[in-house]
Amino acid sequence: MALTQALTIGIDIGGTKVAAGVVDPEGNILDRLRRDTPTKDPRETEDAIAEIVRDLESRHDVIAVGIGAAGFVDGTRSSVLFAPHLAWRHEPLRDAVERRLGVPVVVENDANAAAWSEWRFGGGQGESHLVCVTLGTGIGGAILNDGALQRGKFGIAGEFGHMQVVPGGHRCECGNRGCWEQYASGNALTREARELALSGSPVAHNLLRAAGGDPRKINGPMVTELAKDGDPVAVELLEDVGRWLGIGLANLAAALDPGTFVIGGGVSDAGELLLAPAREAFKRTLTGRGFRPEARIVRAVLGPEAGMVGAADLAREEATWLRRVRVKTTAVTAKTAAARGRSTRVERAARKSAARRTGLRAASAESAVELDDSEA
Amino acid sequence: MGLTIGIDVGGTKIAAGVVDADGTIGARTHRDTPADSVDATAAAIVDAAAELIAAHEVEAVGIGAAGFVSSDRSTVLFAPNLAWRDEPLGARVAEQLKIPVVVENDANAAAWGEFAFGAARAAEHMVCITVGTGIGGGVVIDGELLRGAHGVAAELGHMRVVPGGHRCGCGARGCWEQYASGRALVREGRAQAESGSLAAAQMLSVCGITDPAELTGPMITEAAAAGDPCAMELLEDLGRWLGEGLASIATLFDPSTIVIGGGVSAAKELLMKSAQVAFEKHLPARSNRPHPSFGLAELGNDAGLIGAADLARRPVPVL
Ligand SMILES: [Zn+2]
Ligand SMILES: [Zn+2]
Repeated sequence: MALTQALTIGIDIGGTKVAAGVVDPEGNILDRLRRDTPTKDPRETEDAIAEIVRDLESRHDVIAVGIGAAGFVDGTRSSVLFAPHLAWRHEPLRDAVERRLGVPVVVENDANAAAWSEWRFGGGQGESHLVCVTLGTGIGGAILNDGALQRGKFGIAGEFGHMQVVPGGHRCECGNRGCWEQYASGNALTREARELALSGSPVAHNLLRAAGGDPRKINGPMVTELAKDGDPVAVELLEDVGRWLGIGLANLAAALDPGTFVIGGGVSDAGELLLAPAREAFKRTLTGRGFRPEARIVRAVLGPEAGMVGAADLAREEATWLRRVRVKTTAVTAKTAAARGRSTRVERAARKSAARRTGLRAASAESAVELDDSEA
Repeated sequence: MGLTIGIDVGGTKIAAGVVDADGTIGARTHRDTPADSVDATAAAIVDAAAELIAAHEVEAVGIGAAGFVSSDRSTVLFAPNLAWRDEPLGARVAEQLKIPVVVENDANAAAWGEFAFGAARAAEHMVCITVGTGIGGGVVIDGELLRGAHGVAAELGHMRVVPGGHRCGCGARGCWEQYASGRALVREGRAQAESGSLAAAQMLSVCGITDPAELTGPMITEAAAAGDPCAMELLEDLGRWLGEGLASIATLFDPSTIVIGGGVSAAKELLMKSAQVAFEKHLPARSNRPHPSFGLAELGNDAGLIGAADLARRPVPVL
């Protein structure tokens, strides 16, 4: 089978659900499955993953599996160092699942996986300097330079949600106070809406009615729905979150100077109700504004399945690379190559092709080719 | 490649030197910076370089300049302390010297110097901050300097740390460099003294002055080294802001090494200790992740010059 037509499976592990899909090389999802996440025991989660994969494999010919997980994934993309919503601590997920399945497995941070698919198939196509921000319960982040995911030294770069924006601000589960995700995430939207409703203010009347009179039942999608119907308070709540979003993006622009920000995750369903105030706050707080080019702020286009598609596509990259290594040499086994950090190599290849596309960094692309060849 | 020239364009002085492939500076020269004139500044840079070129076989020139340098590594989009606005500095200097010229942001150049030859020689992922009057930043990812889409990445000093905080020259409020730089140290020291606090009065007398307006950063550093409690507190506060800010920055880049340089880092132990304590305390999920190493810059004032010279060896991207 030609690798260019091969199918892979992408798996998105959330706090409550495991979602899996069979994905083709154009990013189309051909088949889907869902299971509840057994949070108690890592073994059970691994079993659940294996079960889902076998189920999908019975109907499709797949060459690799990509897993997107919320949490810190180490630099070799094999272990989950820490997952806030799961019982994983230094969990060697890749090897455990590979053992069960016998196909190459890639483990990736869920926000990185989502960003990868936005770069390959979505709102970030053709962007040499892309920053993706996923607004869910918290804030996930990813940096893609010249088509290479930036993982940092230990694999945990792009944790934007825990950048401090308010000294001594709201408590965060990471152990700090005032993290960005306490102000610009779905949780923040819900907290503010509930607080408003609890205050008994008459302006929150529609909000309360939508929640059946119980402030604790108010959630983010409810606020978004009301805002879309023109409820002024819901619009304001989204404006506030949007403003914090823009302020944080201005910080990221000072540090990273991307060409495009892609904003995804559940809160981004609010569209312009969120992004218009975000752009305004971004322009208002950007360092050196007026004397520098400014990044575009656009909405993600792939929706909640971006992570699944991205994980599947990263698995395809990996399988393609592994097969190339096997073809080229028998002296270096795939496993030794893996031990030497195969992840960065896959991306070097991506960076190389990005370099070809853009004509940028010709020199560094050439040296990457040399390196690849000498190592293979 | 053989020798290159590195030029560090500061607000008052232009320092130039011939640098070899190992980052060693040979001959040096300098000129005063004619800050108010674009033409005179370019002429002074050309003059300094020409002097070195006449005596050495040089292949390229690297210029480190404070300001936004566009991704063509030639045009200065904006410089806060000099009169440059969309100034094609690289092309201008190259035309007169007849050799390749590369322009870099000065903090990027200093960071590169530390990465290539200084405190982060062994690292792949580095964040370097230069704490002087303001804060300059430079980031190396996977062995490459982060320039961003437009060339103006790593302006770390202008990340906002206090909503509605002190005004900054960049047009925003609450920027990190308003809290963790030499300017912040002096502002706080003077404010303390003007408040009539007895501790501050004692600090002034240790510094040998009576007027708070005469207080400078080096004076505070010296008083702290001599054990003056007020000066020590001021440096501890500064260190705390430094550490907190670096913890946020570490969440973005996940560096293996953080390097702190610049004038304020002369206050080594006190400042670094307080910065490191705050950093460890504010690193998100600190018990569930590896921590980067934390160190002082090694190249001192020459970091920018050496870094600019070395960056001049590296090919200019074709746009
Ligand atoms: Zn946090
Ligand atoms: Zn600023």
